[in-house]
Amino acid sequence: MGRIQLENVTKSFGDVEVIPPLNLTIEDGEFAVFVGPSGCGKSTLLRLIAGLEETSSGNVIIDDEDMTEVPPSKRGLAMVFQSYALYPHMTVRKNIAFPMRMAGLDEDEQEKRITAAAKALNLTDYLDRKPGQLSGGQRQRVAIGRAIVRDPSAFLFDEPLSNLDAALRVGMRLEISEMHNRMQTTMIYVTHDQVEAMTMADRIVVLQAGVIEQVGSPLELYHEPRNKFVAGFIGSPKMNFISGDEAAKHGAHTIGIRPEHTEVSTTEGLWKGVVGVAEHLGSDTFIHVHDTGLAGTFTVRITGDIAVRHGDTVYLTPQADQIHKFDTEGLRVA
Amino acid sequence: MSKRTLPRLLQTPAVFLLLVWMLVPLGMTLYFSFIRYVLNSLRRPEWTSPSLSNWRGFGNYEFVLKSKDFLLAIQNSLVIVCSILFLTVILGVLIAVLINRAFPGRGIVRVLLISPFFVMPAVNAVLWINMILDPVLGLQGIAVGSINDMVEGLRNAPLVGWFFSLWPELTPISFRATQTSALAVIIMVTWQWTPFAVLIFMTSLQSEDQQQKEAAVLDGAGPWSQFRFLTLPHLGRPIAIVVMIQAIFHLSLYAEIEIVSRGNGNKNLPYLIGEFANNNIGAASATGIFAVILANIVAIFLLRMIGKTLME
Repeated sequence: MGRIQLENVTKSFGDVEVIPPLNLTIEDGEFAVFVGPSGCGKSTLLRLIAGLEETSSGNVIIDDEDMTEVPPSKRGLAMVFQSYALYPHMTVRKNIAFPMRMAGLDEDEQEKRITAAAKALNLTDYLDRKPGQLSGGQRQRVAIGRAIVRDPSAFLFDEPLSNLDAALRVGMRLEISEMHNRMQTTMIYVTHDQVEAMTMADRIVVLQAGVIEQVGSPLELYHEPRNKFVAGFIGSPKMNFISGDEAAKHGAHTIGIRPEHTEVSTTEGLWKGVVGVAEHLGSDTFIHVHDTGLAGTFTVRITGDIAVRHGDTVYLTPQADQIHKFDTEGLRVA
Repeated sequence: MSKRTLPRLLQTPAVFLLLVWMLVPLGMTLYFSFIRYVLNSLRRPEWTSPSLSNWRGFGNYEFVLKSKDFLLAIQNSLVIVCSILFLTVILGVLIAVLINRAFPGRGIVRVLLISPFFVMPAVNAVLWINMILDPVLGLQGIAVGSINDMVEGLRNAPLVGWFFSLWPELTPISFRATQTSALAVIIMVTWQWTPFAVLIFMTSLQSEDQQQKEAAVLDGAGPWSQFRFLTLPHLGRPIAIVVMIQAIFHLSLYAEIEIVSRGNGNKNLPYLIGEFANNNIGAASATGIFAVILANIVAIFLLRMIGKTLME
């Protein structure tokens, strides 16, 4: 079990309110991702759930039990930190055994769980090494192993992949997703990387300045962002926003068009512009178009390749059914 | 000229200077320890200037080994150094952990804690032996006197009087005496050097990873387990540094011993060297060589021990 509810939770540091009253329920077995720009309070929220920070008011409820005043170690949660937070003078084996040793588990059971975790995480050959002798990915796996052996009701991940290089990040992302599919335990994952959020989450919680902007499945957020912030945050490259006359034509204050929902032609189209930079990735091409008469740079993403380069004139046509409309408040208009 | 020659050449003056700096005194000590060399002798005036013709072989070493104070000096050197190390490290760790957390006035407390380190050793010794440890005029004498007076007064009190009449009268301890003078030296040097340990441990504690502690909290480690399994191993290296530096310094204690008891019942090797050096330079040099050997043994032994126990 691992159903986590936050009821009117607030957090203030001195006079600064980091998290205004917030309600959220994470269902048992769910992979929830908290995503948002740096300083949006997503890590603080995770630490509140873990018990590393005290709530200023409100309740943290785990499996229908009020855990607000319960110390972190008694909440049955395991956390994986961005800096791994391994104990540097202990071997991998002792690191993984530490929570069990603190809980006073008997040696045989400890050994059994260590072996199982090491096997699942490909750490068997490294059990007698110290963290300093491991690579970043291996260290992160040890941290995950230390979390697994506690058999927690939920895992908390605090930007666990931020310190890894790009290739390793993709690999670890898959491993964590597979781990979740296998274990079916609740996981809460904090990241500022919307790609991680989109690829891993059952449900994404988008935060800005401590306020939940939207909660939903990755595709809900992609197709029906509730407001301009979510629309701009989810999706890569960012959505193009156009206001003024063009938006008024669609009866909105601002319209948003995703780069991948725009067609490009060298001969004809709705808007005319000049190519600033064309990024050819082979599978995709990102074109940054200037001087469209719209706002700033317009980014286009097309699959495959197109022979345009800096200085060329191109014509852009948005797909009519993929235009997002927003009112003066930035909220979505149907 | 090959690539390596120039850098080597440029290093030469520094290396040469270092060698001269260290080897010349050591060489001279060795030389003096093998010849008869005294400062003043009416009977054998030829011994008053160092010369190979006064060769004595291991005679000086034999003389030192047979002198009645030698064993006492070795024993005392070790007792004093080990006691001070033990006390300063334990007190240092405790105080450093205590003042590592935030509390009002922490800055002032830290400065006050460090201040004993800036007192000169001789001044430190004079202050302690005369003003604090003195059995009559010092704090100790006054405290023991007051307690005795108080107990004396309470003996006639109703109800509890019988209890206090069982108490013996306390006698103040004279720290200049043969049996206790080493203790006085240990107390005053510990007071002076604990701040050094605190200073080193404090800076080390500030570099302790807070996320590790949070992870430990989540793993169910209480304050004691955190201290035992995280803080103490983290302090392993600074403790080794403190022990090594202090061992070097305290093997050569002199001022405190001189001031407390003038070597009465409490000599260490440097003090013995000082006594020999009043006249017999040959014997003093031989003792010096013993001191070098002892220092090396202590250093190797201590470092091994600390390395094993703390860096598991």
